[in-house]
Amino acid sequence: MKVEVSYRKKLQQLKTSENKKQAVNKLEGLDSEGSVPQGITGDTQRLNPELVKAASAVASSLPRNKKQTESELLAQLRRHEETTDKQKKGGPINLRNVISEMTFKRQSPEQWGARLSGRISLQLDEDGQRTRPERSSAMDSRRTLKVGKRLNIFTKASTEPEHALKTVSSPTIWDLEFAKEVAAVTAQPPRNGFEEMIQWTKEGILWEFPIDNEAGMEDDAEFHEHIFLEKHLEGFPKEGPIRHFMELVICGLSKNPYLSVRQKVEHIEWFQKYFEEKKELLQEI
Amino acid sequence: MAARRVGGGCWQRALWLGRRCRLPGGRESYRSSSSSPPLGKTVDNSQVTQEEIVLPRRKTWDKLAVLQTLASTVNRDPTAAHYMFQDDPFLIPRNAANSRLYSLSKESGRNAAKYIIKNFPQYFDKTFAEPNVPCLMPETLTPQTEGVSEEALRERIHLRMVKESVDMFDQLLQAGTPVSLETTNSLLDLLCFYGDGEPTPEKEQEEKEVLEEAGVDASEQKAPKRQFQRGSQASGPRWRENSHAERIFKIMPEKNAHSYCTMIRGMVKHGAYSKAYDMYIDLLNERHKADVHTFNALIRAVPYLKERFVERWELAKDFLTHMAQQKVQPTLLTFNSVLKSLRRCGGVGRTMSLFVLKEMEALDIEPSLASYDHLLSVYYKGVDAQSSDIISEVLNEVEKRSFTAQDPDDANFFNTAMQVCCDLKDIKLAYQLNKALEKGDNWKFLDVDRSNGYWSKFFSLLCMMEQIEVVLKWYKEMSSSLFYPSPKNILDLLQALDAANQLEVIPSVWEDVKQLGFNRRQDLLEEFLSLMSRDQHPSEIQLAFAKCAEEIKAVHEPAGPGQVPLEWTGSALGHVVVLFSRAGRTQEAWNMMEHFQKINRIPTDKVMDEFLNCAKQTNSPDEAIKMVKLAASLGLPLSQRLKSRTEEEFELSETQKKTLESIKWDGDSSDSDSDSSDSDRE
Repeated sequence: MKVEVSYRKKLQQLKTSENKKQAVNKLEGLDSEGSVPQGITGDTQRLNPELVKAASAVASSLPRNKKQTESELLAQLRRHEETTDKQKKGGPINLRNVISEMTFKRQSPEQWGARLSGRISLQLDEDGQRTRPERSSAMDSRRTLKVGKRLNIFTKASTEPEHALKTVSSPTIWDLEFAKEVAAVTAQPPRNGFEEMIQWTKEGILWEFPIDNEAGMEDDAEFHEHIFLEKHLEGFPKEGPIRHFMELVICGLSKNPYLSVRQKVEHIEWFQKYFEEKKELLQEI
Repeated sequence: MAARRVGGGCWQRALWLGRRCRLPGGRESYRSSSSSPPLGKTVDNSQVTQEEIVLPRRKTWDKLAVLQTLASTVNRDPTAAHYMFQDDPFLIPRNAANSRLYSLSKESGRNAAKYIIKNFPQYFDKTFAEPNVPCLMPETLTPQTEGVSEEALRERIHLRMVKESVDMFDQLLQAGTPVSLETTNSLLDLLCFYGDGEPTPEKEQEEKEVLEEAGVDASEQKAPKRQFQRGSQASGPRWRENSHAERIFKIMPEKNAHSYCTMIRGMVKHGAYSKAYDMYIDLLNERHKADVHTFNALIRAVPYLKERFVERWELAKDFLTHMAQQKVQPTLLTFNSVLKSLRRCGGVGRTMSLFVLKEMEALDIEPSLASYDHLLSVYYKGVDAQSSDIISEVLNEVEKRSFTAQDPDDANFFNTAMQVCCDLKDIKLAYQLNKALEKGDNWKFLDVDRSNGYWSKFFSLLCMMEQIEVVLKWYKEMSSSLFYPSPKNILDLLQALDAANQLEVIPSVWEDVKQLGFNRRQDLLEEFLSLMSRDQHPSEIQLAFAKCAEEIKAVHEPAGPGQVPLEWTGSALGHVVVLFSRAGRTQEAWNMMEHFQKINRIPTDKVMDEFLNCAKQTNSPDEAIKMVKLAASLGLPLSQRLKSRTEEEFELSETQKKTLESIKWDGDSSDSDSDSSDSDRE
């Protein structure tokens, strides 16, 4: 921001061409990392002799290091003389040259490009002609996705194990709602009957194809355990009316879809117990 | 239990097969009944006994495989409406507004059913279905745990009962029981997400619909800024000054990073941007680390924090650098937020957005459709003389793959891209975009509203750029099954027909317009009439035109109850007269002429000439005379010429001649005698 403000001021001053010292002061502010004042001895003749005298007077008035102060002041004056000369002769200002003279604290060509383009887009009304030729050449180079610079802020992180551990915590309401929102983007109404059936299957309303008619049934026993119940008849006599009766019972139980295997076995055991109790009675007969 | 469904004899056969194939368990897959293994056995046995029988490995299909295969065999039917409307032919929508209304009403019907189930669960407690369908059963939304405890608070938070949770929390504090940090954090989450309001799913759905409609309308009017502002204002309640969230945050004894983060996210969501920024500074001062979602929210808030473009970009970059410093990995959503903020950064945005994309590439993050959408908006927002470099590159990327939704803004991409194609007037790009739409699952990004807007724009572009045969082909395929033409589309179509000199198609377009319900729109009617009446056409076409004119006339007359008739305009009336005249319907034309006085308009010269021609053709000099009288009464300069024409071209009887001569006007009545032969009445 500093550069932008000072540059604008500079432009105004060059247009009005007055008060060179202020421009010099701004340049000086930027040039805090500036180079050591160059050789002063050679070019002092270009400076106004009054200025030179004033500079030496200032230097002598300052408490310490008079020589260095004087040389610095003279160097600064010489520098601004050069700049004003150049710009007097230069005519219309070449933006690039002016900006390249200045040094920034934060060096980033993207920043410069950003400011330039930002200002161009803002100032197109004012400086229509002057900035447009530069704009078109700059635009072409920026118009592809393939070639270009990146921000250089992030580096690709290798997959660290601690990152994996961090994501164990249960999803918050933010995450849940975001997931719902994202899912809603591509949730379109079904376009035909099959898609409708797909949606219903996902919701659990429709049977799953291929139809498994034991879906939803938790039955631990296999079908043969329901049907082949003769093995439970070992406790009964092999012949006789009881056997006949029990075989009928088994036949009925095997056709019963409503009882679990355990219940059927319990039935048979009940009968067994019953006949055991009545054994004495029966044997009398 | 298995015996219930399996019949008596079937399982015996199944058992036999099972023994033969030696498959494990009693549950058979449908492949076990294939006859290939036994067949293979017999064949092999007869030949060489050394060969091994390799039973094929059992394939497992997921539950949707059959249905998905069947669904892939079905294409769109260009003659039918969308599947969701195929119930009652009377209820098939005829235009875009109706289709939206009907789809919303279907949805609201479902919501009404859910509401009934939710509020009267006592009537829905019997489960008839075997197996049970849990999604159709009422949910238990009342909290089970009673009393004041942290368990109860957690349960209420889980059930999203905002007010009860806050009350419970206050009760807990008053009772002196400390609430754990985790529970407080989840309470803060709840409060920040809902912004102190209650969760109302119906209202959210409605607001989303309203926003969508606002978005679609705004984009059609090419005012994206307005849409943005409207969207940001309408999204949820605003953040209150002393909301519960802030209060609870202040009285929390200890706060961790999560507390700050959730407060920041809530503030950004509800529009308190500067507060969010202050909270972020607090978080930094406490030396906590924000998580990636917080940074995303902060970057989204950047356009509201700074005014100047460069400052906005600088602030966004600051956030990104903080992220890098705190070792928070950016995600796709981070970069999408940056691009979204760059939309409001003018020229700075243009440069920087490309750099952002390169950064994403360097980090191996694939851009989503939302990234491309923001990019296109940055580059093609209203500035003219654009080049099509960016969009062609974007389309080259997009058409390669099928996207999945990762960002809620993904849905806007196709409409933005089609708008850009229309602005650039490039039909090839539009075709490329259509191809991208057909790839994989990309079609899912367009819902009913957006799809209408998209195809509407495409059709306008077609009318502008393509030959008329192509336009008509698309029109026949697309209209009423894929999209409903808007009035603008009809106007574009008429212009295209005009440019291609195929005005005879106009009557069929008029039929469509009637079906769409646009037959009362003044601008459309004017366009129709002016196109039909401009030139002379061969007679069948003229008759068809006249029939259209008659129907248009009917619109302007009081019809049944509740129908307000349209007002006639002068030009419309004139066109109708011309059309009637050219078709030889003199009486009706004369009726129309009389209307002119009612609406205080004057018929043009052309109209009167046409009428006279018609009268001449049908040999009705009375009408001609009536018209001359009308012209004279209006004081038209043409009336003189009309009179002379009448006298010359018509065969008038004596009485007619006298009537003609007695018509008063400003100029001298000429006494020249014309033919004195007897008139031939029709």
